[in-house]
Amino acid sequence: MAETEKYDRADREILAAMGKPGRLYLLVLAFTVTLVASGFLCWYHQYRVGLGVAGYTHPVNWAVYITNFVFWVGIAHSGTLISAVLYLFRARFRTSFNRPAEAMTVFALMVAGLFPLIHLGRPWVFYYLFPYPNQRQLWVNFRSPLIWDVFAVGTYFTVSVVFFYVGLIPDLAIVRRCKEGIRKTIYSVLSLGWEGTRRQWRHYNMLYLFLAAFATPLVASVHSVVSWDFAMSILPGWHTTIFAPYFVAGAIFSGTAMVITLVVPMRKILVLDRYITDDHFESIAKILLFTSLIVSYAYVVETGLAWYGGNVFEIELFRYRAWGHYKALFWTMITCNSLVPLTLFARRLRRNIAYLFCVSLLVNVGMWVERFVIIVSSLARDFDPYVWDTQMYRPTFVEVGITLGSFGMFFTLYLIFLKTLPVLSITEIKEHL
Amino acid sequence: MAKPMIFHEKEEFLKTLRRLVREGVAKERIRVITPFSVAEVEEILPRMPSHVQVFALAGAASGTVGGFAFTILSTLSWPLIVGGKPIVSIPPFIIIAFALTILFGALSTFLGFLLLSRLPSIRRIRSVEEYGNAFVITVEPEEAK
Amino acid sequence: MKGFPGQGSGLVGMCVLAGVLVALTQFGPIAKDGASLLLALLFWATVIEGCVAAVAAGTLIKARWVASVKRELLSVYPLLLFVSILFLFLVPFVDSYPWAGRRGLWFDKKFFVGRNFALLLLAYLSARRFSLASERGEEGEKVLAALYLFVFVASQSLMAFDWVMSLMYPWISTLLGGYFFIESLFGGFALSGILYVFLYGRQQRVGEPEGRSDMKDLAILLFGFSLLWAGLFYSQFLVIWYGNIPEEVSFLVTRLSSSPLRELTVSIVFFYFFIPFLVLLPGRSKTNPYVVFAVSLSVLLGILVERFVFVAPVVTPSPLALGIDFLVLLVLFVFFVAKRGGGRRVLGKVQGRS
Repeated sequence: MAETEKYDRADREILAAMGKPGRLYLLVLAFTVTLVASGFLCWYHQYRVGLGVAGYTHPVNWAVYITNFVFWVGIAHSGTLISAVLYLFRARFRTSFNRPAEAMTVFALMVAGLFPLIHLGRPWVFYYLFPYPNQRQLWVNFRSPLIWDVFAVGTYFTVSVVFFYVGLIPDLAIVRRCKEGIRKTIYSVLSLGWEGTRRQWRHYNMLYLFLAAFATPLVASVHSVVSWDFAMSILPGWHTTIFAPYFVAGAIFSGTAMVITLVVPMRKILVLDRYITDDHFESIAKILLFTSLIVSYAYVVETGLAWYGGNVFEIELFRYRAWGHYKALFWTMITCNSLVPLTLFARRLRRNIAYLFCVSLLVNVGMWVERFVIIVSSLARDFDPYVWDTQMYRPTFVEVGITLGSFGMFFTLYLIFLKTLPVLSITEIKEHL
Repeated sequence: MAKPMIFHEKEEFLKTLRRLVREGVAKERIRVITPFSVAEVEEILPRMPSHVQVFALAGAASGTVGGFAFTILSTLSWPLIVGGKPIVSIPPFIIIAFALTILFGALSTFLGFLLLSRLPSIRRIRSVEEYGNAFVITVEPEEAK
Repeated sequence: MKGFPGQGSGLVGMCVLAGVLVALTQFGPIAKDGASLLLALLFWATVIEGCVAAVAAGTLIKARWVASVKRELLSVYPLLLFVSILFLFLVPFVDSYPWAGRRGLWFDKKFFVGRNFALLLLAYLSARRFSLASERGEEGEKVLAALYLFVFVASQSLMAFDWVMSLMYPWISTLLGGYFFIESLFGGFALSGILYVFLYGRQQRVGEPEGRSDMKDLAILLFGFSLLWAGLFYSQFLVIWYGNIPEEVSFLVTRLSSSPLRELTVSIVFFYFFIPFLVLLPGRSKTNPYVVFAVSLSVLLGILVERFVFVAPVVTPSPLALGIDFLVLLVLFVFFVAKRGGGRRVLGKVQGRS
């Protein structure tokens, strides 16, 4: 067929996803919106009554909310890896994933950004976190890792939104062509009047290259900064130098699993097999396997060195992690993060999409549990044996509700994205057709 | 306005473009519209590298300098004597400066792109000539001197 | 330059001679203890393993990074056997480690020597297997590359934890293992840069027809790795600095409190990060062979100085012994690389494309 017919077909097939929502879509959307609503209700309850409704018990004063924060920021990293880092490596297979991955990044960051506020207990004083001249004569403490978070995650969110939007501009021009009326106006405004002239493409390519170059160090640095929330303390199990690369690898690991979780059903339901092939999934599976190995390495090194160093508190903490109150969670974590992904060494399993989907679900669970285990176990077994075993920390319905609400919010945003924006990067796919 | 030549095959389009250049048509008069970025166009009609990179460098540099200046000067003006670290402690300030380098670099690059591409273009937002997935060459008529 | 002892027996003879020389230095009056040999091994084991790892990593990802100098890089794998045997010369030195005599399997001297020797030997064997497969272009090349990389990670991690970190027992840094194998990879790429310049000089070999030149790819890799290294260095430094707990901070304090160690420690950051980063930032320098050569040299110098700074506050290497050990390995390295290329393609004379 003539070349332009191929491109027209790509436009049609990919933009078909933006058609009228079917019954399945509305059902799933209703479910996720319900989750969001219940999450907000729980938050409102906490807002009225106080942080006591979360299960905090001395010395565990950081728990599910921080777990969720770290989890969602981690999810975001994989999107940037696929868009920016793989672009710099000139990896072809990225073009079928990068739009959903970038969307995932932006939405995950939006969800993650709520959690410091929820965790604050008094969210109405959130503005204390921002550095601006004020009549209280107080500046933020730049030496605190919590402020580094503000800068790092804030930068990451801004740059991700810009990167997402920039990637969308040529595609929005395509959508503008296919719509009428008020929708046409909206997409015309959003696409800034993009035409595709030589000058525009020249500047665009350079812009994209630079944004990718800027976003790449963010992948490593933002989750390093988040890990330093913990590593800057002196708690056993938290104060360890490997945290930065370990958390970054873990972030890419959980984010890649989330990409698989999102894209497998999307490909099936929207019939995008021509553009997202099994080869693409195999490449993503390799990234999953590789990051799983790094995470396992970190587990081994941390535990091994705790024993080697002879510090009684470190040794007790690692014993507690494996055999203490949270041992069920610990072994879930080991199984889901270290053992199950090992099966991906087999090529047949890497190309089995249903199996990949199951593995990705397990990894999502395993990584959430890993954050929980790291945070809560180190707090529960610190240097003061008097408070060990006084009362085991258990999440309450408020925390569970808010966690479910966060998942609901993420999927709601994603579902809305599916209907309003081109779900794959049409322009980049056309380049390689 | 000259009549645009519309192509539905990339190779035809590139052949015509090469022919025009060979015939000595001034490069500034050739306007090209493509549905996606075609690397060969840059080879046939070469120009100086895009000045977007100037914006990038300027933004990043201002971020680094600004990050350090902001943190150092504000901690000197309103010192918070907590934590046992020096008031002006460079290791943590590196993180802040790094974040601001990336932030200002990215934002200024984007701004540079908008300025250099003359976007958003109000005229085009209101009505734009849609060529779909075709490749278009327009040769502007020569200016009467 | 013809007439190299190109064939196997000549090289084996050289290795034996070199081994005897090192043994004489080590057990004779020149070296007071094993510190010089330790330092020389720390540098060369890292760099040699890194050379093979650079090729293995490229093979796994199907990247062309070091394709032009692949054969030269892989040709040095026999030196890993030599290094393993040299490691055995350090056995008497193990007694002067601070943990010597502690109870526990991990601190058993025989287990210590055994595990490190075994890993070095394993690195040699897997490097050999991979190298031969790579030369013949065998099917199972990628599996063997992965296998070598596993052994490489284990070997480098143990080198970090056992050889270096335990010198300062009970100081711990969980990052040190990862730090060492990234530095090793970095060293491998730096050595590729040097080999590339020696072999191809100003000639730019190009990958695909519209692809970047191989030298530019190498330059970008060096640039990226300098950033990666800086991130890891900073992670370790920040955690230790911020926690400020005496048992950890002693590591930094002994190395930053007085000249000349202080200047040497600061220079490490320049050799590994500032010089490669700032010099390779502009696009033009990425295709300039002299620049890439200088940057590669800077990185290798950084490795050497850093290993020295790790070891120096605890045991002092004797300069003469260090020089002899280092030069012996350098000469062997050059001979192994030269042999790979054959007589004709040595030190700048390129006989057309190959």
